[in-house]
Amino acid sequence: MSEMPEKYVGEAGSPKPHLSETAGLPDQVGNVARRSMEELVEDICASQGKTQRSLGPLDKVYVFWLAGMSCDGCTVSVTGATEPALEDLLTGSLPGVPLVVLHHYVLQLESGDHYIHTLEKAEQGKLDAPYVIVYEGSIADESLTVDGEPFAAEGSLPLWAPSEQRRRVATAEWMKRLSPTAAAVIAIGTCATWGGIPASYGNVTGSMSVMDFLGKNYRSVLGLPVINIPGCAPVGDNFTDAVQAILLFLQGLGPLPEFDELGRPAWQFSETVHRHCVRAGYYEEGIFAKEFGDKECLVEIGCWGPVVQCNITEAGAISHLGGCMNAGGPCIGCTMPGFPDKFSPFYKSPPGSLLSSNASRLLGSIIRPLRRISQRERNREIRWHETVPSGWAMEKGDVSLTHKILEFFYEAMQFQGAKKPGRELPEEQFPSGYITLPEQKYGKDFQLLPEDRAKKAEKRT
Amino acid sequence: MRGQSISALLLRQGNSEGQLGRDAQVNTNSKNANSRMQVSCDKSEIIIMCFKNLPIEFDAQGVAHLKGGAIDPYGYQRREINRDKLKEMMARNGHIKDVSISPVTRVAGALSFHAVADLQERKFLEANSVATIFRGYEVILKGRDPRDAIYISSRACGVCGGVHSTAACEAIEMAFGISPPPLGTVLRNLALALDFLYDHPLHLFLLAGPDYSQVVVEATNPAMWEKAKLTEATNAEVHQHKTIGDIMKSLNPLSGGCYLDGLKMTRTPREAYAVLFGKYPHPQTVVPGGMSSTVTITDFNEVLTRLQKMLDWTKRMILLWDDLTEFFYEFNPEYKKIGALSPNLIDLGMWDDPDSYDATYERCNEWGEARWATPGVVIDGKLVTTKLQQINLGLEEFVEHSYYEDWNQNGNQRYLTDPLGAPLSPNHPWNKETMPKPSKESWKDRYTWDTAPRWDRQVVEAGCYARIWTTAAAGMMPKNDFLEATGHSLKIHMPKTMLREMDFEWKIPEVWNAFERNRARAYCMGYNLMIAYTMTLKAFDYLRKGEDKVSTKFEVPKGERRGVGFWGAGRGFLSHHLVLDKGAIVNYQIVTPSTFNASPKDPFGNPGPYEQAVLNTPIIEDFDKPENFTGVDMLRAIRSFDPCMPCTTHIYGGEREIIREVNTCACGAEG
Repeated sequence: MSEMPEKYVGEAGSPKPHLSETAGLPDQVGNVARRSMEELVEDICASQGKTQRSLGPLDKVYVFWLAGMSCDGCTVSVTGATEPALEDLLTGSLPGVPLVVLHHYVLQLESGDHYIHTLEKAEQGKLDAPYVIVYEGSIADESLTVDGEPFAAEGSLPLWAPSEQRRRVATAEWMKRLSPTAAAVIAIGTCATWGGIPASYGNVTGSMSVMDFLGKNYRSVLGLPVINIPGCAPVGDNFTDAVQAILLFLQGLGPLPEFDELGRPAWQFSETVHRHCVRAGYYEEGIFAKEFGDKECLVEIGCWGPVVQCNITEAGAISHLGGCMNAGGPCIGCTMPGFPDKFSPFYKSPPGSLLSSNASRLLGSIIRPLRRISQRERNREIRWHETVPSGWAMEKGDVSLTHKILEFFYEAMQFQGAKKPGRELPEEQFPSGYITLPEQKYGKDFQLLPEDRAKKAEKRT
Repeated sequence: MRGQSISALLLRQGNSEGQLGRDAQVNTNSKNANSRMQVSCDKSEIIIMCFKNLPIEFDAQGVAHLKGGAIDPYGYQRREINRDKLKEMMARNGHIKDVSISPVTRVAGALSFHAVADLQERKFLEANSVATIFRGYEVILKGRDPRDAIYISSRACGVCGGVHSTAACEAIEMAFGISPPPLGTVLRNLALALDFLYDHPLHLFLLAGPDYSQVVVEATNPAMWEKAKLTEATNAEVHQHKTIGDIMKSLNPLSGGCYLDGLKMTRTPREAYAVLFGKYPHPQTVVPGGMSSTVTITDFNEVLTRLQKMLDWTKRMILLWDDLTEFFYEFNPEYKKIGALSPNLIDLGMWDDPDSYDATYERCNEWGEARWATPGVVIDGKLVTTKLQQINLGLEEFVEHSYYEDWNQNGNQRYLTDPLGAPLSPNHPWNKETMPKPSKESWKDRYTWDTAPRWDRQVVEAGCYARIWTTAAAGMMPKNDFLEATGHSLKIHMPKTMLREMDFEWKIPEVWNAFERNRARAYCMGYNLMIAYTMTLKAFDYLRKGEDKVSTKFEVPKGERRGVGFWGAGRGFLSHHLVLDKGAIVNYQIVTPSTFNASPKDPFGNPGPYEQAVLNTPIIEDFDKPENFTGVDMLRAIRSFDPCMPCTTHIYGGEREIIREVNTCACGAEG
């Protein structure tokens, strides 16, 4: 807390309690169900007969989703999460995982002061369970707006005063007020993790990331620095997966989730997106897409995948489907702290690829023909010598002498120190002298196609 | 062009000149003090431009020009807002309540709303819509490589997924002089149909739906809940909810079947989207001159599998919203006034015809009218134009009640005409500059970061319902097996799946209110679904013909270029106006649907659509004392627009950004 940069919040952000200590709210404006989402969730769990006794010390966790300079894309992504699914987390339907009571402006039943009231209760320590802050969007430098309305606001205070006497509360102020007593702070999306587009060159809001805002020494109640789940928009499953991993660990059930030096879940973000890319093999062979829509490696039309830490090619975008390069979209580095300026202009090949892709081209020009030879032989049944009985094309049975020679050595290497299939040696024969039926009937030609066998027999006679 | 005398400008109206000559007559409009002239239309026949308020007139040959004689043809007098009487009433009467809802939840993004309610008369006296976030994307784009516009502008809105990137592409294509190959256009159309198939269920079941659920209805109108439990649903056989009460229960957040299915159904189209376009939101596959998807037969088969899943569900869902709407009307016809507005709608159309779309401004009327959603403006329920150029000419943005300075103070208007030589307002996006002037909110003066976009100086609303309305009314949809625009309705034929084949017809409604917006959104699901299906078949067709190219090569031009992307978001109208010079962006202006809908009062004294809709909304909910008033009727009115604040508050243009609030003072008590 001591490291909290006061100046970023500005005058309006001096954290004073605004809620009168007398509990009840004076009116019902915005409370359309006359009960909050939190109360509704309790009712649902009770009516479904679900026990909230979980398998660990935590029964439930509040999650306050705050949005600053955001586009709501992270929210949208998380609604798409299925591993685990958002609705399962929110209804306490996952054994061992505590009920997640989500306080989110896009999903909340109640509006206005009743919505804000819960945030104040959290700040005052009046909730019956720990809370986590999830922050979407970057944080504006609200010291620039001291004389005007904040760049990003959520709610207005003091509650219940006439509109003209209220002041809008910057989301940054909520962060400042709620972060000291939060069990954890999770930044979701590239704006919250690294500033993103609102913080790029030429911005007018002085935007920054959650880490920039809270500072190096920030620790949550659980002793954690800010957890970062980047991506623009992030993979929804990365969020629910990380949340479930953390909760299961806290319950004493799961292994310790590891985070890298920038607070990213290490199991999701330590590999480059290129390593699991479906097109990485083209790169290896030095074949590159020239136009959008081509199926090959996209590096030369603007893909930064080889240096970008992301798991979308492996995890998919939603329900394990999609992924930028899988579909044909070059990686523009949207999970990285340098996004967007260090990847601009998009659609232009990264300078580094000049060396690396040409090196691949060189290597590829050697290994590609060799692979095609091996591939060709492996594209043939052991019965195919003279004829290939395909109705699809006039496949030539014969192969060139070069091919035969190369394949001879290749095969020798293939079975070096191993056994080539077949019963060629005397000790491999049946001791009883048994001979298989095809051999009895066709002799040495038993593994030829009937057609070739007939031709061969004819030649012999 | 800039040196040309405005009054000498003559404008030829594209391909419609002959029609104009035949049908247009000039009348004086004595009713509207703002209007200088009116072109009356033969609505049954040919649609022609009908500017009532802008200084553009037509001669007998159908040639349009600036009305002669005016020294300052686009000048206007600002009308001041007077709140004195309202303040006096509030001070005198305990039943007049200041209502502040901050934030309005269950909308995309940060929206606050202020109103003054007369709880005795059960009506609203003042309404102010306020957007509470400002990021400045247009400013960030200034001075960048135009190629960056696509992925940066996409991030204006994550709810709208890929609409901004596509609009940016169309603007860039116009400026670069390139256009996509047919399969590229078809893929784009498919992407934008899948996009909305996720977007509409999100709104209908997660955002708006809870307002019609048991938990809300029971709390705010117990008598209705009692009646609902006993009322059989007309289409129960299809949607499997026996009574209206069952439907309401099914809409309950986190436990109702419709709510949970709605959430799951937002994923199905996104899966199809991810297969073809990589990810959602912010796909990486939208490129100038086409798409960068590598398409295979499997991709399309995976899309078809998901469309099939959605067909059954959509058939049920449309009828469910029909039943719910009719129940509310029957229970209390006053519900027809919730969120009621005179139907003033605007849409740019979308889903290009691959054979017509060439990304040129010169031919925008032709390729616009060839779209699968027809561009159009509806004023008082009448379609007044379907021409993109005319819609573009009528656009203006005003900042009198927003935190900006007027960019016209120095009289240095960048463009006097559009690229075809037609007169262009100094308030048009191509001329706009953003000069932010942050200040404290004042309902009387400036109270929002949103601007007030107007068409022909009239308040218009945008939405998917505008898209289905203009398409239905224009009757220009390409011939196909599943969709037919009749001039008064849109017929949707949905083939057999697990459920039988079914025909739906969305008819232009007699009343225009919150329920009709939601109902139209449900029908738009069927519309989008059959567009997606048709586009998949079209893609197959191009692949069969061997036309498998999806993109066109391009070079970044160095000269001064203008472009505009006329497109649509889940919530309707979306335009990106772009000016390039020396290979860099010098001006970028985005107008989104919620920029229109959430707009503040304009200088002529007209409140924005949310504000006016709330002013027209009666207070029907039950409350025994003023403290128990919840404002649910007002929230239903606002949510029916499907507010999307991230879009609204991107940032407009010039040096700083904007957004955040929209507020209006449509004070009924104004003296």
